[in-house]
Amino acid sequence: MLIDIRGVYKIYNEDTDAEVRALDGVNLRIDRGEFVAVVGQSGSGKSTLMNILGCLDIPTRGTYLIDGEDVKELDDVQLSHIRNKQIGFIFQGYNLIQALTAYENVELPLIYQNISPFKRRDMVMDAMERVGVADRYKHHPSEMSGGQQQRVAIARAIATRPPIIMADEPTGALDSRTGQEVLHFLQELNKEGSTVILITHDNGIAATARRCVRISDGRIIEDKEQEVDWL
Amino acid sequence: MKLGQAFKMAFKSIGGNKGRSFLTMLGIIIGVASVMAIVSVLMGMNKKSLEMYEKMGSNRIQVYAYRYDGVSVFEDLYDYCLYLTEQVDGVTPNAYVSATVTYGNKTSDSMDQRPDMYFGSDQYGVVNNFQIEKGRDLSKIDIDNYANVCVMGGRAARNFFDATNPLGKEVRVNGVPFTVIGVYAEKDADNLSWSLDNVIVFPYTAARALQQDTRDMNEFYVKAKTASAATEATTLINGFLTGICGDPNDWNNQKGYFYVQNANQWTEDGNEYAKMMSLVLGGIAAISLLVGGIGIMNIMLVTVTERTREIGIRRAIGAERKSIVSQFLIEAGMICGIGGIFGVTLGTILTLVGGKLLLQTVIWPSFSITVGALAFSVILGVIFGMYPAIKASGLQPVVALRAE
Repeated sequence: MLIDIRGVYKIYNEDTDAEVRALDGVNLRIDRGEFVAVVGQSGSGKSTLMNILGCLDIPTRGTYLIDGEDVKELDDVQLSHIRNKQIGFIFQGYNLIQALTAYENVELPLIYQNISPFKRRDMVMDAMERVGVADRYKHHPSEMSGGQQQRVAIARAIATRPPIIMADEPTGALDSRTGQEVLHFLQELNKEGSTVILITHDNGIAATARRCVRISDGRIIEDKEQEVDWL
Repeated sequence: MKLGQAFKMAFKSIGGNKGRSFLTMLGIIIGVASVMAIVSVLMGMNKKSLEMYEKMGSNRIQVYAYRYDGVSVFEDLYDYCLYLTEQVDGVTPNAYVSATVTYGNKTSDSMDQRPDMYFGSDQYGVVNNFQIEKGRDLSKIDIDNYANVCVMGGRAARNFFDATNPLGKEVRVNGVPFTVIGVYAEKDADNLSWSLDNVIVFPYTAARALQQDTRDMNEFYVKAKTASAATEATTLINGFLTGICGDPNDWNNQKGYFYVQNANQWTEDGNEYAKMMSLVLGGIAAISLLVGGIGIMNIMLVTVTERTREIGIRRAIGAERKSIVSQFLIEAGMICGIGGIFGVTLGTILTLVGGKLLLQTVIWPSFSITVGALAFSVILGVIFGMYPAIKASGLQPVVALRAE
């Protein structure tokens, strides 16, 4: 079992009048090689779930085992290594560093892995070619379209060849054609063996995944296998 | 993350945020340069005025004395000082002559550096710390014979005679011929404009030939052998002049008036002034540094939000806390170091230019002020450059990412 969360709560302002239960007792298991869509309205807790799955946030209560290891027991260095090697993030707002070029942004996770510069260059250019932005490597994010920026962000996520890809509304800021391309790419990655977790509010987008987990008010209300809408 | 890589990353970040990097550097450049220039120039000014006291001669006593009947007290004072062999080296009138000196087509009135002219005794050189370089000084015989002779300071001699030998040359003073009998060695050569060496000294008895009123000759300088001799001589001369001019504090005194002042007092005043000056300088330096420091703090703090997000991104893709902190440390250190180098360069230039313009002399910046200003700015810059890193790297990555 790659991902295994049991009885996870994320509660803000606990025991006050302003208490918010972003996650209210969630159990979820994801196997290696799955393509899971987490669907829910805004405020349903789906992003909170992804942040916890991605080790960007810690649960208030509950257990999270990643590859059999309890996240609660891990220190900063170990968590950083998990984020660096196990997970590739794709965010709605791209989250590229504006001061760096496309190449330098993609290179960043490899630098934190202490990979040698020569090997790094090959890995960066491989990733950028795969998403079709290799010719833009010298450009800064501000000099690229939204679609191009998201591709650079995807290149950054896949450059380290992580087993897990987590995408939070990856098409949210894109036009539908570019969005389709991004989703198609996620399907490709999944076919090659990556575990893909896709967060979305859109049922149409969720249809690209084999498994659909529906979340509402911090609880999982449905978890089913579905027909895949191949792109 | 390896150290070399951290340096590269810091360098990229500086290059990628040129505006912010420049503004931070500017705070340091202005802070360092202004403190260096202001303090160094003022310190130079202070040092120069103390040196001036030294050159004019220490252990001098200023005497001001006259008799209501118009008879000059100088002859009596001169004789009395000869008697004080233990304490006194010499005595001279300190009377300014207003006259026009011409030699060939050169005239003192049209010179850029108009010479100062004085009536002196045969001890003028001794009292004013001048050494004879060529010829001879004024003698008692010149005085007694009302000789039409003069001795020139090195600067004045050069202005009139250029490279030629001034000895025996005849100049005209208000049309009256005077012979140059000696030249004093220069003692104030590094002063480019106004110089103590730009003087011409006449025997005080030549006042008759120049038709100047000797009754105005009320001010004298006495040169004492040592500081303690100056104190003794001041008391002795006081007593002596009370006999000639009467008690200056007595309202019914019909004889005259005088005062005697030990000029070492001025040097003490000068030292006192220097101390006060250094306090003022310290204040100015502190304020300049504070202003520069606030500039640095501002620009660093303004970018905290932006940097918090950047740190969130870096953390999300796998940067450890210590990688973030070391990158920001190196980055701030580099910016401040480069700013510091520019600041010291600019400060040195400003000090040199300021010294040339204000004091006509070469001043080098003070080492301690340079190091102090540099250290303060760099430490401040590094602390506030690190601030976002230390703060944001402690947050959960998701919180840092949310920073807008």
